[in-house]
Amino acid sequence: MNFWQLMVAECKAILADKAIVVTLFGGVLFYSVLYPLPYLHQVPTEQQIVVVDHDNSSLSRLVTRHADASAKIKVLANVNSIDQAQAWIDAGKAHGLLVIPADFRRNLLLGKGATLSYGGDASYFLIYSAIVEGLVSAGIDASKHVQMIGLLARGQNPELAQQAVNSIHINSVPAFNPSLGYTPYVVPGLFLLILHQTLLIGTGILGAGQWGKQGYWQQVRPVTLVLARLSVFMMIYALFSSFYLGACFYWYKVSVVASVIEVGLFMLPFLLATGSLGIYLSSLFRRRELPTQLYLLVSMPILFVAGFVWPIALIPQPLVVASQVIPAVPAIMGMLELNQLGAGWSAVLPKWLQLWGLFAIFVTMAIVAIARKQQDVNTPS
Amino acid sequence: MRHLFRREWTVLWHSPWQLALVSYIPLIGVLALWWLFSAGLPRQLPVAVVDLDNSQISRMLTRQLSANAVVAPRAYANEASAIDAMRKVEVYGLVILPYQLNKDLLTSKQPTIDIRYNSQFLLVGKLLSSQLQLSLAEGLTHIGEVNLLLKGANKATVDVSLTPISNQTTALFNRNNNYVGFLVPPILIALWQLLSMLVFVNSVNAELLPQGERNYLAKDFWAKVWVKILFYSPIMLIHGGFILLWLYHYLAMPIAGSLWLLVLAQMFMLMALWLIVLFIFMLMRDSARVVSFCTALFAPAFAFMGITFPVNDMPLLAKWWRLIMPSSHYIDSHVSVVSYGVNLPQVLLQISSYWGFLLLIPLLYVLGRHAQKIPPQVPVSKSISLGVK
Repeated sequence: MNFWQLMVAECKAILADKAIVVTLFGGVLFYSVLYPLPYLHQVPTEQQIVVVDHDNSSLSRLVTRHADASAKIKVLANVNSIDQAQAWIDAGKAHGLLVIPADFRRNLLLGKGATLSYGGDASYFLIYSAIVEGLVSAGIDASKHVQMIGLLARGQNPELAQQAVNSIHINSVPAFNPSLGYTPYVVPGLFLLILHQTLLIGTGILGAGQWGKQGYWQQVRPVTLVLARLSVFMMIYALFSSFYLGACFYWYKVSVVASVIEVGLFMLPFLLATGSLGIYLSSLFRRRELPTQLYLLVSMPILFVAGFVWPIALIPQPLVVASQVIPAVPAIMGMLELNQLGAGWSAVLPKWLQLWGLFAIFVTMAIVAIARKQQDVNTPS
Repeated sequence: MRHLFRREWTVLWHSPWQLALVSYIPLIGVLALWWLFSAGLPRQLPVAVVDLDNSQISRMLTRQLSANAVVAPRAYANEASAIDAMRKVEVYGLVILPYQLNKDLLTSKQPTIDIRYNSQFLLVGKLLSSQLQLSLAEGLTHIGEVNLLLKGANKATVDVSLTPISNQTTALFNRNNNYVGFLVPPILIALWQLLSMLVFVNSVNAELLPQGERNYLAKDFWAKVWVKILFYSPIMLIHGGFILLWLYHYLAMPIAGSLWLLVLAQMFMLMALWLIVLFIFMLMRDSARVVSFCTALFAPAFAFMGITFPVNDMPLLAKWWRLIMPSSHYIDSHVSVVSYGVNLPQVLLQISSYWGFLLLIPLLYVLGRHAQKIPPQVPVSKSISLGVK
């Protein structure tokens, strides 16, 4: 059996295996639609709040209208007391409240100052931040309005008054993900993880199904088998990667900075390392249902330890160190730096070399493991 | 009946993977995921400060930033190196204090302070954006105060004329914006759902009788299923209870309602989960495909819970899809009990949202009848396996 025949045999083995085809082709396609589905609207808008207006003056109504005008907030109702507002929140009808104190306008006109109270349901952080951002900006707006009127009333020149109110300009702009969208945040890391997990599952099922039985895999040298298997999976995953990192990133409006060559060059050791890890781990499975189950359970921890959901600086050090042997962990961070943040090749070089190192280790382990498997099967028979 | 229980126990005892799924894997998973997030509050996030002014005011603003617990300012000499650091994720944000900031402020020229925050890491970015603005605004009011005092304003009126309306923001139900209270419960519930699903799938898969091309079910299949439900529900409920005890007793996170209500909600969640797993199992009747399909279905459960991204803002299709997953029903009760402290009637009302799963019961019956019709030409007697593989 020469190398080409072996590759053909590998392809046949993969395509003939329904479970692998479903996981690889079906899974990759299905997840590319399903995972980003909840986030398609990108930014939470029109969060429902209730207003407790104890003042009922022209100014308090102005504040309410300004809050309602914010894209982030929708004022559902004007209730009479905080207790009533609480009932609305407990029933899940509203997620926040704005309390305007009694004598709000009067105190402001007398120059006494007043306090607006905001509350947001912090059980949901995006809702909370949307409500607070919306209400605070409405409050600041009202505050400036009052200041402006006060200054004008004292005979200040309007231009100077404008300047006194906004003495400094804070220009706060999001970088890299300008829309603050949720899919550009989740998709780049998540899709690499999906590639990683499906590749592990695919190699795992293929291996677990073969080791117990006689087959072509015994008739070749372990090195040849590992290389052929890697080549076949690389071909399949070159396709998947182009679909994910090309079409899907475009579709989900992920900002892409790196060139195709850089991305390809970075994906190569990632896929190689993952593939060889998968082949090595497949030697530990006997039953075909196991790889899917095991890799499913570890996917959530890998996602969170990769450091784009929760900052790496806050993850306990032992977990960070231990996770470095998982190809997805350096790959996700490296790819984000390269493709989304535009850090340039020199910045991701250490991670790239780390992936090559992982590949070297895993491929050796895979060859040794397969050699042992071949002996195990050959000796008793 | 008793022999069925004993049989279930033997099967479990002889399957190392199944045994792991009901014993140490949940414990390790729960503790590891909690440990990952155990820092709880994001603190000391590095932020690049480029001070091009180097005046008294710009240094005061830098000090103001370092006084904020969330921000850890790092000085960079110029913008280029700071931008570079930001691209390499060495810092999560960037503040540029412009040249002649002090002079412009004194001569009323409205200078601009630039803030950039890394929104690719949305969670960190949003937090930094608000905290940086808060700290700088706080520092800048000092300057305004001095200005007004210089102009001869009365000390008592200075504060009011600077900020006539002050804001008081309260984070309801999670006072200090703790991420352990916010993220960890839904993550652990998602993990628990996956584990329960796998345990049950493995258990029913063992009941398949291979006959030629397809798999069939034995006549006493339903009795076995009842035994499995009675056997595995308490085991998984213990793990669910462990999650609750760990979070709300050991870590003493605030909970307004009663833990028993959550246990009740978990019980209904398990029932719904068993129903949907059984339905998929009946439909496919092939162990590998049932595992793949259930995995595909339940793996994204966390995204659909609506904790990280609000349900109201999901597309319609996602709103429907999330109803298929029992965890999304449960998490609503979880939040209401933990945050709002609702009582039994409301929890029962929420549980009634599972009604759609009841429609599966007649379907299951029909599919079951169909699956039990083993082609007569093949002898059946031998193939009743214990499922020990």
